Amino acid sequence: MINVEHLTRRFGATNAIEDLTFHLESGEVVGFLGPNGAGKTTTMRILTGYLPATSGKVEIAGFDVLRDSLAVRRQIGYLPEAVPLYREHRVREMLEFQARLHGMSRSDYRAKIPVVLERVRIADRIDSLISTLSRGQRQRVGLAVALLPDPKVLILDEPTSGLDPLQRLEMRGLLRELAREHTVLLSSHILPEIEAVCARVIILNRGRIAADGTPEQLVSAQVHASAVRLEAVVGADVEAALRLLRAIRGARSVEDGGKLGIHQRFEIHCDEDLREDVGALAAQRGWALRELSWTRPTLETLFARIALDLDQDGQAAPRAASKPAAVPASSGGLISLESPPPKKTAPLVVEAPKPLPLGTPTPPRAAYNLNPFEGAAARDLSKPKPVAKDPGADAAPEQT
Amino acid sequence: MSGTWTIFRRELSGLFFGPLAWVLLCAALLLNGALFVWYVGASGGDIDFSVSMIFGMGGAYWALMVVLPPLLTMKMISEESRAGLLEFLLTAPVSDWAVVLGKLLAATAFMALLWAVPLLYGSAVALLGASPDWPVLLGNYLGAVLVSGLFCGIGLVASAGTSTPLLAAFVAFVFNVVLLLLPFLKDLAGAQPENWRGAFFRRIDVGSRLQGSFSMGVIDTSHIVFFLVWTVFCVFLATRLVESRRWR
Repeated sequence: MINVEHLTRRFGATNAIEDLTFHLESGEVVGFLGPNGAGKTTTMRILTGYLPATSGKVEIAGFDVLRDSLAVRRQIGYLPEAVPLYREHRVREMLEFQARLHGMSRSDYRAKIPVVLERVRIADRIDSLISTLSRGQRQRVGLAVALLPDPKVLILDEPTSGLDPLQRLEMRGLLRELAREHTVLLSSHILPEIEAVCARVIILNRGRIAADGTPEQLVSAQVHASAVRLEAVVGADVEAALRLLRAIRGARSVEDGGKLGIHQRFEIHCDEDLREDVGALAAQRGWALRELSWTRPTLETLFARIALDLDQDGQAAPRAASKPAAVPASSGGLISLESPPPKKTAPLVVEAPKPLPLGTPTPPRAAYNLNPFEGAAARDLSKPKPVAKDPGADAAPEQT
Repeated sequence: MSGTWTIFRRELSGLFFGPLAWVLLCAALLLNGALFVWYVGASGGDIDFSVSMIFGMGGAYWALMVVLPPLLTMKMISEESRAGLLEFLLTAPVSDWAVVLGKLLAATAFMALLWAVPLLYGSAVALLGASPDWPVLLGNYLGAVLVSGLFCGIGLVASAGTSTPLLAAFVAFVFNVVLLLLPFLKDLAGAQPENWRGAFFRRIDVGSRLQGSFSMGVIDTSHIVFFLVWTVFCVFLATRLVESRRWR
């Protein structure tokens, strides 16, 4: 339905978009993501025929945007970010104007206007002046204007921008409905909205396609964004704790986040959820846990990394890294974020305590007492305090 | 053509939805009405003289002509561009020239309505028994519509070339004044009927063409063509300027 090939648009010396190539099949719903200035609006304006491209080719429904501009415009319903409505008109008049521009017959548009307004749930304001409508209502009227000629392709530039959370939710539901009947290209920088509505996402950065695929594909491609976060009392030997954590199978790297009160923070970068392994290690070593959580990769982390030009490890990447990488054939030609093969890590080696011979007195259990008022405030809380097995052991000195 | 008609209808209704058009209409009617009564009294009841003074022979006519079209057209493109409405129109299935032509016809139709009022004066005095010279009256009216079309075209060019409505109105006003006053410099410029300067002044002399034919009730097609050609040139220029906004 939409074919974009090697599309470039320059404004003076600046490349607003550069060598964009993507295709949308009929009925596909694609989210166009990108930070401000990434080139989303420029691309959409070129698709609608409002802006000419510096080079490249765009076809919509088989018509070339440059050569058959009017035919393309008949196939498109376009809702720009600033909803274009004549404020002095009533809703009905605005829709009638749009219908006449598209050459609809009077009987046709008189029948369709109530249906379209009902669909965007603003039928009760059909005779209201547009200047009296709220922002959300104007957004709905704008959508009704775009929908009225029943276009094959809907191009919506940030349709929920400026709406309150409730209006945004309603608009999201509406977009899901529209997605069933139209080919939709939807731009936004509100990620949950894109994830909720779009089956495919194209992320633009600095005028180039940085990622293209389904949200699941894009999320699963970010192997380095996954991490287990641990906050525990590990004792004085932090290096030993680091060594143990690095030894866990699947741990890519371990970051020491420093001390937070009596707790030591660690971030274990990994490809999968290692909470069970880390938890087992903590239990075995007797570390008192305060936090053990897994940070999953999300579209948001991918978006942030692309927008900030960070590489997979979260480091600032050189400019060239923002170019899309080669598309792996196995991924259906969609994902452009390739991950390097995971480093081989040593298996988790934690020595199990040897069973003691029968009759051997059990050594006092080490436990952490987090009550700062017990044993005086001067006690080193990071050191374990022996717990006596029998009442007579209460007087035993603190284990060091 | 249906696109032009659609835009024309919208623009004309848009003019009447705003207060500016009503204020301009009211001011022009008051001025023309007062002047007509005064001219009739001062000329001892000479209706034809009074009509020609209301139209092309009087100063108030030219004052209205240089002021009203810029005010009517100033928002038509520059303001719509700022509000995103131009993007809406230029992504609708209508050509750029249809958009510009529709706007020009709307502004000209408004001016035509404004200048139709002296026809009522003529009808009123005819009812009172002093019939005016209708060919002169109608010729004057046709001339006023043609001049209005040209000046509205200039206003649209200014509106398409700038992004601020007031600046567009000012630029169009200055251009209108220069266009009217330039022919007075032809003697200073050494213009003769046979040299190029003379040809140049003949091709820009709006006042003489109006007063030499339409004001006398003479419909000369060469003068009609003169006004139409310049108006079409303005439409062409405004369309190119609208298109150039896509490239900026």
